[in-house]
Amino acid sequence: MRVGFPCPSRRLLLLAAATFVAAGTMAGTVEAADLKGGRLRVAILADMTNFDPQQFSTVNFPLIKNLYDSLVEYAPDGKVVPSLASAWKIAPDNKSVTLTLRKDVKFHGGTPFNAQAVAATLKKAADPQKGKNVYATMSFIKDWNVVDDSTITLNFTGPAPERQITDLLQFLCVIDPAGIDTVETKPAGTGAYMLGERVVGQRIRLVANPNYWREKEPIANEVIFTIFSEDAAATAALESGATDIIYGGTSRSAVRLKDSGYQVIQGPGPLVQVFRINSTRGPFRNEKFRQAFNYLMDRKGILKVGYAGLGEVVALPWAPASPAFDAAYNEKYAFNIDKGKELLAASGLSPADMSNWKLLVNGSDESTVAISQVVQGSLGKAGVKIELDLQQGAEFIDALLKGRFDAVFGAVGNVQKFPTRVATNSIYRTSNNPILGTPHPHPEYVAAIERVNTTFGPGADVKGAYDNLNRVLVETAFAIPTNSYDVGLIVAAKNVGGFTLDIDNLFVARTVGFKP
Amino acid sequence: MNRMMRASAMTRRLLTRKGALFSLIFLAAITGAAAFADLLSLDPLSQDLVNALEKPSAAHWFGTDELGRDIMARAVYGARTSLLTAAGAVGIAAMVGIPIGLVAGFFGGWRDAVLMRAVDVLLALPGILFAMAMIAVLGRSQTAALIAVGVTGIPSFARVTRAQVLALRKRDFVTAVEAFGGTSTYNMFRTILPNAWSPILVQVVVLASVAILLEAALAFLGVGIPPPTPSWGEMLRTGKSFLYEAPYYAVLPGLVLTLTILSFDSLGRSLTWLLEDRHELVELNVERAKP
Repeated sequence: MRVGFPCPSRRLLLLAAATFVAAGTMAGTVEAADLKGGRLRVAILADMTNFDPQQFSTVNFPLIKNLYDSLVEYAPDGKVVPSLASAWKIAPDNKSVTLTLRKDVKFHGGTPFNAQAVAATLKKAADPQKGKNVYATMSFIKDWNVVDDSTITLNFTGPAPERQITDLLQFLCVIDPAGIDTVETKPAGTGAYMLGERVVGQRIRLVANPNYWREKEPIANEVIFTIFSEDAAATAALESGATDIIYGGTSRSAVRLKDSGYQVIQGPGPLVQVFRINSTRGPFRNEKFRQAFNYLMDRKGILKVGYAGLGEVVALPWAPASPAFDAAYNEKYAFNIDKGKELLAASGLSPADMSNWKLLVNGSDESTVAISQVVQGSLGKAGVKIELDLQQGAEFIDALLKGRFDAVFGAVGNVQKFPTRVATNSIYRTSNNPILGTPHPHPEYVAAIERVNTTFGPGADVKGAYDNLNRVLVETAFAIPTNSYDVGLIVAAKNVGGFTLDIDNLFVARTVGFKP
Repeated sequence: MNRMMRASAMTRRLLTRKGALFSLIFLAAITGAAAFADLLSLDPLSQDLVNALEKPSAAHWFGTDELGRDIMARAVYGARTSLLTAAGAVGIAAMVGIPIGLVAGFFGGWRDAVLMRAVDVLLALPGILFAMAMIAVLGRSQTAALIAVGVTGIPSFARVTRAQVLALRKRDFVTAVEAFGGTSTYNMFRTILPNAWSPILVQVVVLASVAILLEAALAFLGVGIPPPTPSWGEMLRTGKSFLYEAPYYAVLPGLVLTLTILSFDSLGRSLTWLLEDRHELVELNVERAKP
């Protein structure tokens, strides 16, 4: 089963992207041959939480793809490429996938990589307590059986779209069964680097894996991640030559450093900032009132103020690499106070009712504080006068996760993968939604997600399902995307090259080296 | 010499000090701008995203912030926030702290011990930490900031007042009032307090500067008055993120804040110098002490 893209413009877009990537890859190959090893110094802004690759939190992004390998990888355009699985075959009924595994791979501890290791990793991922971020992605997996040392078959609960299957394979970093119980404190992967040293709150040192299976990789012999508490300090370190790369810095610093001649590398896996609406409260129960917000978001202003213009304005929660991406919505739902006012008037709510809510704001995040003020200003022009409810740290997180808010900005991830992966984000969940409750107040959205999950066959059918989901998203309007922005932004000195773009914007050090 | 003439003479002496003169002029200008900001056609909330982070110009003397708002307008309205917070905080601190000091110093004994230990407890807590804890309970608002800053100022008023009361308690004019049947309340509020006013006045000025600084510090730490209400501390907090692109964003409001605090401090020092003239004070005390 193949997912088609009948829209000519998308086809052209992908062709152009593929050409760009191919050119980039070729250039990278030529460059890679010239790159020299040494000690790569990387500034990061937060310490990691643990070494479990299934703990997919942004603070662990610098490490995961250096200590572990996935079963498959995505190229920046979304094309699946082999990794630990050299081949995969989806059954004609889309109810299973059989993986052929590489035979020349060993874990850092010396144990051979094989199908038993994949099975152990799947068992952990399927455990609601241990599976962490991967657990939700495992929902369509019924069971698995090891055929032989280098072959394993995963069986699904029903027919699964190809992209959903490859998403899981890409998400699964294989863990050494011998170290699976201690993986939080001791890494147990097959990655290009092994843990050399960790000084909590200060630095993490990785050393090259001498038995790594990819030829001529890793290039750098050693990678040192130094933790800086302030973005400005990391910036100063790069400018003074004390570090070679900043990973995960702010957009504002990146733009400034780019102007100063530093390299800024943006990955294909951004986050999308979403104005989350609790449609079970106050005026937001009114659909027309919610729909007005599609037009009342000054997306360009938000992108400029919050993220120094680094990103894209979006009216749907997809990155360009997503098969459901549709740029036409950006034009259709551009900032338009008059259209917003029309919908506000159509809601039948009084001005007092329309202003009877607060915008929850994460006071610890300067970008969110700024963009919330942009929204406050835009709404003020439309006659909706609101207050900001600034909360800090745990208090904010608690309110966010438990839905104790009228509206709030919050980023969503997985926007570059199979569209229904967006439902792993709390506001988009179709069941047990912590904000909108149970039963879901927008059954048409739940049905649209289900339709995408179960649509196979001709490309037109698949596209129809995506189009339907997009239409439902803007009509139900319980979440208003505003812009994409970069997570895992890389700013590098001029003498560093060979960057590999990960689909999730994780940091991949194995191809990075120093230009002669 | 009547009271008006004496006040006039003291003011003239105060203005002979250049520091006091400049401080008064600056504070008068800031207070005037804050009080009549609405008449100056300045809008601290109007956003113009196209012209964000503009350099100082004829249209925007202090430039614009990241939302295209006029920084000077926000600095002027920020003065209103700071001065109102300072006035409220000093008022709260004085209204609670002075009676505590009066009672503790006048009666002594167990009342003194209980009240001053309570004050010591308050004094032992770092002011900024205590204020943050209070804001966590009360929520972020100007009232909360005002109360938080005011409560942290109570110990200083209580201690200064108590010290003055202890110095005056055994003076002849106080004893005389007691001999004539003056009640304790009368003695505290009508006899002793009017004669203890000079260090309290200095304390008012000193605490005003501390209150402005504390309010700005709270805003800088992100727990002050919530945006979009203009506040000097909030402007510093946001402006520091733009030090490379727009240094004027943080520097100019910071300069206004610094000058305001310096002015209050300078005024406080000048008042201390002026009020150290004991001869005039004693004369004043005797006249005020008549029941």
